[in-house]
Amino acid sequence: MLQRFVSRHPIWTLVIAIIVAGLVWLIFAPWSEGLEDAIGRKKVFLNAVFGGITLGALYFLVAAGFTLIFGLMRNVNLAHGSLYLLGGYLGFEVSEATGSWLLAFPVVFVVVALLGLLLQHQVFRRMEGEELRQTMVTIGLSVVLADIMLWIWGGQSYTILTPDILSGPIELPVISSIRDDTGAITWFRFPAVRIAILIAAIVIGIAMWLVLNRSRLGMLIRAGVDDREMLAASGVRIQYVFLAVFAFGAGLAGMGGIVGGTFQSLTPGEDTRFLLASLVVVIVGGMGSIPGAAIGAIIIGLSEQLGLVYAPTYSVVFTFLIMAVVLAFRPQGLLGAGR
Amino acid sequence: MLGPRDTAARLGSVSSGNALELRGVTKMFGALAAISDITMSVRPGERRAVLGSNGAGKTTLFNCVTGDFLPTSGTIRLFGEDVTAFPAYERIRRGLRRTYQISLLFGGLTVADNVYLACRGVSRGRFSLLRPRRGDVLVARAAELIEAVHLTAWRETLVANLSYGQQRQLEIALALAGAPRFILFDEPAAGLSPTERGELVSILTGLPGHIGFIIIEHDMDVALRVAESVTMMHNGRIFKEGTPQEIENDPEVQELYLGDGSHAHA
Amino acid sequence: MAVTDQPPPRTAVEPGPWNLIERVHPAWWAVAFILLVMPLLANDFWLFQVFGWTFILGMIALSMMFLAGYGGMVSLIQMTVAAMGGYMVAILGTSGVAAISQGLPWWLYIPAAVLIAAAFGTLVGALAVRTEGIYTIMITLAIASAFFYFTRQNYGLFNGYSGFNLVVPPMLFGVDWRGAVPFYYLTLGCAVIAYAAVVYVSRSPFGLALQGVRDNPRRMAALGYSVNAHRIAAYTFASVIAAVGGILLVWQNAQISPGTAGIPAVIDILVIAVVGGLKRPIGPFIGALIYVVLRTFSPDVLLAFGLSGERFKLVIGIGFLLIVFFSPDGVLGLWEKWQNRKRHDPLKGDR
Repeated sequence: MLQRFVSRHPIWTLVIAIIVAGLVWLIFAPWSEGLEDAIGRKKVFLNAVFGGITLGALYFLVAAGFTLIFGLMRNVNLAHGSLYLLGGYLGFEVSEATGSWLLAFPVVFVVVALLGLLLQHQVFRRMEGEELRQTMVTIGLSVVLADIMLWIWGGQSYTILTPDILSGPIELPVISSIRDDTGAITWFRFPAVRIAILIAAIVIGIAMWLVLNRSRLGMLIRAGVDDREMLAASGVRIQYVFLAVFAFGAGLAGMGGIVGGTFQSLTPGEDTRFLLASLVVVIVGGMGSIPGAAIGAIIIGLSEQLGLVYAPTYSVVFTFLIMAVVLAFRPQGLLGAGR
Repeated sequence: MLGPRDTAARLGSVSSGNALELRGVTKMFGALAAISDITMSVRPGERRAVLGSNGAGKTTLFNCVTGDFLPTSGTIRLFGEDVTAFPAYERIRRGLRRTYQISLLFGGLTVADNVYLACRGVSRGRFSLLRPRRGDVLVARAAELIEAVHLTAWRETLVANLSYGQQRQLEIALALAGAPRFILFDEPAAGLSPTERGELVSILTGLPGHIGFIIIEHDMDVALRVAESVTMMHNGRIFKEGTPQEIENDPEVQELYLGDGSHAHA
Repeated sequence: MAVTDQPPPRTAVEPGPWNLIERVHPAWWAVAFILLVMPLLANDFWLFQVFGWTFILGMIALSMMFLAGYGGMVSLIQMTVAAMGGYMVAILGTSGVAAISQGLPWWLYIPAAVLIAAAFGTLVGALAVRTEGIYTIMITLAIASAFFYFTRQNYGLFNGYSGFNLVVPPMLFGVDWRGAVPFYYLTLGCAVIAYAAVVYVSRSPFGLALQGVRDNPRRMAALGYSVNAHRIAAYTFASVIAAVGGILLVWQNAQISPGTAGIPAVIDILVIAVVGGLKRPIGPFIGALIYVVLRTFSPDVLLAFGLSGERFKLVIGIGFLLIVFFSPDGVLGLWEKWQNRKRHDPLKGDR
């Protein structure tokens, strides 16, 4: 697929290659004084870039489930943000009760996945094919869930404590600055937990890609994304595939909630924020595409963080502009299937 | 609207020059040639049937003529003008119309509204926010068309509530809107009962003399009753051309198509 | 077979004034009468807070219904367009934020606000129509969210978190239009005009073409219509209605802030439109009345049951879910089913 893109769009490939090379150089090469005078200290830049990438990792975790659910079942799950927040709150409770951060992940995954299973089986299955009605139901669910969560956990913000092994910064092989007089190198330091999440997101992303492209289940899912009726007509118990995908997507969003609760915090309103982020990531990256979600997530994460640091009033505008540009020139998303 | 079916007299009275002319038209989908090297011409007012089994390339041919597909090679001329690269709406403006194998109708609107929309489509004022006045010429024209396809009694019926046969009749009315000069009928008889097929034949033969058409049909019976000339396709190529009698009696055609019992008398 | 006599075509004929009285169902006349004399029956709270708000929300939901019911496009940008109109009135007119408000005269800032909001709505439409129907919800929701976050962060134009206060209607003809009775008639009048406009346009060539685009865009293209141009034009028409609603809203609250067009408010409009019914223009107003009554009085009911008054959101959410489950056409759908059951005579074998 990459070779096809390169051969068909040589100019775009060149542009993207230049941008990526430029970014890599900015990250790894030591900055001259003139550069630092012009755009600020390298450490600030590195914080923004790594912050953006790790934020992108979080967005990817949440958006991947969203894009799968839409891609396969044509269900715009607008309650996805609520599942994220619910997962976060539950993760908080679990880690407080057991003192283990890691234990929260499987527990939350299972609980939220079960909820997703229940929704798909009892609710969405009865509205097969009525996309608009399904979307309305997800909206109603998001309203109800949001209020129930407000009732139980109230309006204050919760943070999940990072486990000790991951707390504190880690040194990365990236030069932060070099002292002029001694030539001593200061390496860039970044919170370890965020790097851990980034690695986990990459692992999960690769695992998802492998399952989708190398396993029988993945083949069924991809066939269903292409043509749902055909898949059902060929005798596959498509309902089981739907259940599996919805449950998985929901569970993933729930785990994302734990991550977000650790990085940032959990408050009412975060559900809307992550729903919006999922929407934008998927619009930009393309519906039903996991690599698209990854690329979209990185772009949006970076634009948000870089925007926050260098042009705080307008960071929202950047995200919106990216989305508008993609919509204007490639409405199906960067890696979306052409319609 | 009922004109004499004397072919020579009628065709002689309309302009010379071909209504539709295809030269070497080929359409490839990847490595598959759906149609190859199609060369045919249809005169203004002529009634042609294009026959062939499934996969012969008939619908692909139509799609190239209407502009839904761009031919891989070859030229298409409409009333002398090269329209090979023209988008669909340009061909519509030049008098080309088409019906669809699966009726594409506006289910939420009445029969009258459907035909009115078709009449509006090729005229001005499509964005008009003003309702048409009493005696509006397009409204009257729509009523005429509904009469031409025998649907006047169902003018106010929602299309979703029409029977299948009635929907097919409405399809034809939509194709007649504006001032068509040439129509492509894509399997208009598909799924119709024998009585409905009789209706269809009477509607088609009752069309004004200056409107030429090509009809694709599986049902040889309907096709041979309304056509003056026949083009048979096989595997994407033109296999044989001639009058209905010639085709009906041709031994090669009989072996390929009539032998499997698809020729059924009502 | 064909019927030989030809009744004059009734479908697309402009009604004359003298047969108006016969054509309109008596129930409508009763409703109209009650609405006209309402100030004699109801107190200021009901006039200003309940009915005023109903008409305003009804108009904004009407603009959504126009796009969804006639155009087949569910757009969540209508509340944002309304807020844009309200913001422009605050920015171009007078408000408590003297640093930003331009203080233009009313006959300038009102049309300008409607124009700017309509232009915004058209622009969003242009972005949204190029994709499939279900994407419209996502895209318009994303843009609505972006607007919310932007107005919250931008202090130069939108005054950020605080927004604008002291935004009141101009004193025209010596009337304080924010008084209960004048405001009631103002909102009633605007709502009636908006409703009449939608009903009229729905059977104009533009309206019919829009419905054709809804039912079968491929055929419309084959008939020579530009499908996207019609859809975008529909956004423009709907945005004008929403903009007027937004101006009335900012006058009613005498203030506007980012929360006016926050996601909860955006979803509330969808709830209103769906609950009322997306198929006919009266639906949004029915939905708005239900919403406003629930919103205004359910906190008291909840307290009576020992729950916090804030749980009205839950009540509305559950009510919405029930409607979507059992009657996706909303209250209008329930009404129609009931009518059909009365009319259906099993002995005659009616359909």
